[in-house]
Amino acid sequence: MKAALLRTRAIVRKEFLHILHDPRSLFLVFLMPVVQLIMFGYALNLEIQRVDMAVFDHARSPASREFIQAFSGSRFFHVFEVNRSVRTVEDWFKSRKARVALVIPADFDRQLHRNLRIPIQFLMDASDANAATLIRNYCQQILISYNLSHGAKVLLPFAFRRTVFFNPNFRSSYFFVPGLMAMILIMISTLLTSVAIAREKETGTLEQMLVSPVRSREIILGKVFPYLVLAFLDAAAILAIGLFLFRIPFVGNLLLLTLLSVLYIVLALSLGLLISTVASSQQVAMMIAQIATVLPTIMMAGMIFPIASMPRWLQLITYILPARFYLLIVRGIILKGSTFADLLNPSAVLLGMTIFLLLVSIRKFKTNLEA
Amino acid sequence: MQPIFAVIQKEFKQVFRDRSMVAIIFLVPLIQLFLLAYSITVDVRHVKLEIADLDNSHLSRELVQAFSHTKQFDLVGWTRNLNGIEEGFRSWRSQVVLIIPPGFEKNLRRGRLPQIGVAVDGVDGNTAGVALGYAQAILIRFGQRIQTQVFAQKTRSQPHLVEMRERMWYNPELDSKPFMIPGIAVVLLTLLPMMLSSMSLVKEKETGTLEQLLVTPLKKTQLILGKLIPFLLLSFIELSFLLLVAIGSFHIAMNGSYLLLGWLSFVYLFTTLGLGIFISTVTTSQQQAMFMSWFMLVFMILMSGFFIPIENMPLVLQKLTYLDPMRYFMSIVRDIFQKGSGLRFLQRDAIPMAGFGVIILTVSILKFHKRVG
Repeated sequence: MKAALLRTRAIVRKEFLHILHDPRSLFLVFLMPVVQLIMFGYALNLEIQRVDMAVFDHARSPASREFIQAFSGSRFFHVFEVNRSVRTVEDWFKSRKARVALVIPADFDRQLHRNLRIPIQFLMDASDANAATLIRNYCQQILISYNLSHGAKVLLPFAFRRTVFFNPNFRSSYFFVPGLMAMILIMISTLLTSVAIAREKETGTLEQMLVSPVRSREIILGKVFPYLVLAFLDAAAILAIGLFLFRIPFVGNLLLLTLLSVLYIVLALSLGLLISTVASSQQVAMMIAQIATVLPTIMMAGMIFPIASMPRWLQLITYILPARFYLLIVRGIILKGSTFADLLNPSAVLLGMTIFLLLVSIRKFKTNLEA
Repeated sequence: MQPIFAVIQKEFKQVFRDRSMVAIIFLVPLIQLFLLAYSITVDVRHVKLEIADLDNSHLSRELVQAFSHTKQFDLVGWTRNLNGIEEGFRSWRSQVVLIIPPGFEKNLRRGRLPQIGVAVDGVDGNTAGVALGYAQAILIRFGQRIQTQVFAQKTRSQPHLVEMRERMWYNPELDSKPFMIPGIAVVLLTLLPMMLSSMSLVKEKETGTLEQLLVTPLKKTQLILGKLIPFLLLSFIELSFLLLVAIGSFHIAMNGSYLLLGWLSFVYLFTTLGLGIFISTVTTSQQQAMFMSWFMLVFMILMSGFFIPIENMPLVLQKLTYLDPMRYFMSIVRDIFQKGSGLRFLQRDAIPMAGFGVIILTVSILKFHKRVG
């Protein structure tokens, strides 16, 4: 037992030395997450800030101007009038000078007094379907408030009140910064371990270890531990930036978050381990690590896009993504103060995944060594 | 010319010798294309709704029906305990809770304006905002209906309503795939050449074979060209392959000119290959090269408008996107595909992109010469 501990410690030392001997990599390991967090934190925003709207006002009456005012007064729209034929609208779209065009008919005033329903044409550049959907929603909201303020008294027999929990101003950084923790942690941890072992394979030093009395279990533990420390420091840095720079409120239990984050990091490290056992070279290992972590985490784990809106078969696939579960944990604890009891399910899944990956990778690693 | 061919041949052999590399180059992008094409949607559907019906009257049940019979909301549970609302949010059980107060129907019939509550988990601000909008719309519709039912005699004049008639250009079905799939192709067309070229050069440095190559009668320019041409070819094969799949199995319409697309892709590859060489000159190991290219890629993808529209970003970041070569190519490819834009509308992007390409490639090759020489 004591000998095993000593041997493991020796490997830990060797691996630490290896990391410290390559300050450029170390620098990148810390700089990358920080810069990415800051950039993503500011850039990730699903709310459109400014939509260019071309207005073809064929009525040119006080009423039509008032109607346009409803849009130009909103902070979403940048409205400009076009005194040309609606047929030019394609040019506006192609040159991306307008995303939406509002066409007011010449008999707008007359219709306003006679008809119960006045159809107004909105032409939209729907090449980006998501943006078009959002723009349509904004337009509809503005129409509702225009109608309400213009005699269309939608009398409701009841009142309703909305209460927003945890993030009353709908700030997107609250949502995205904890999400970035999930992405950065899995990316860094998986990459680091996948390379650490593939490198020894490539340079042939793994064979040297084999002839030494070290057990494969000890090699793995010794290799993984330094990266656990590294990834943990990364996590702490990310959290600190989130709290102090982006002013995310932390309402939960720090100890719980730490424990579950360590679990997540160990999971990611085991994934890296598994990758390194199947990869034939460092290059392949890194490619696989990247493919398995970055894009799936960003696009499919619920970090940005809601899983519930994805097609059913894709939702099923998301269950294999560790980040899907860690996202519930990290957002729950930081923003909502979720307790362990609240997060029992995602925590259990992470634990199960970790055990599974560790067992498989140790096994594969052994057969690798023996082969 | 012949020495170049020798290098090209060697490089091709090296790539294809490794089966997993072949899979990474051809198979993985295909899988990613399929998965990502479906995952990216800001549509908000199946919002988890919990209901606290404290009235349990005929009308309250009708209101519950109005909510549960929609695509937007999934009824996940009932609660009678208002303290449980926050707990439901904390454990991610529910996202929205509809609270119908006791005496709702009675008060409504007496005209006392009972107050309906809608509580929402605001953590995902976008979803929360949209869900509140849905709830509001359902409530208004319900209110108008019972208004005429219950108080038919009181409503006199009908309101004039301005309504939206929308026409969606280029994409009437509001399908996100025609936008995302060309975008994914752009990302993959950046990722592979950059990583392959950076790592292939660094690998020779790491294993010392670069020195061996240098003592051969090969000129440095020939060496670089011989290294780049295979990646250029591979990237082109990759691109055509992806587009074939996109058009064949996703039925994405290609409205523009293939020739224009091919030319501009060629120009864009100057940038990605140039960046690859650049990375190989400033790093000493494959691991560092990987970190660097990864780092750059994340920046490039993020700032390209691939999945976060540039207009959404703060102004400072919007300006920063002009430094991202992928930004230009992203717009170009999407516009050619969807809008069929010709060069007249694309030169705004094509000119800076070409400029970047030439500068990056020249600087990197010069730097490589200096480092090696």
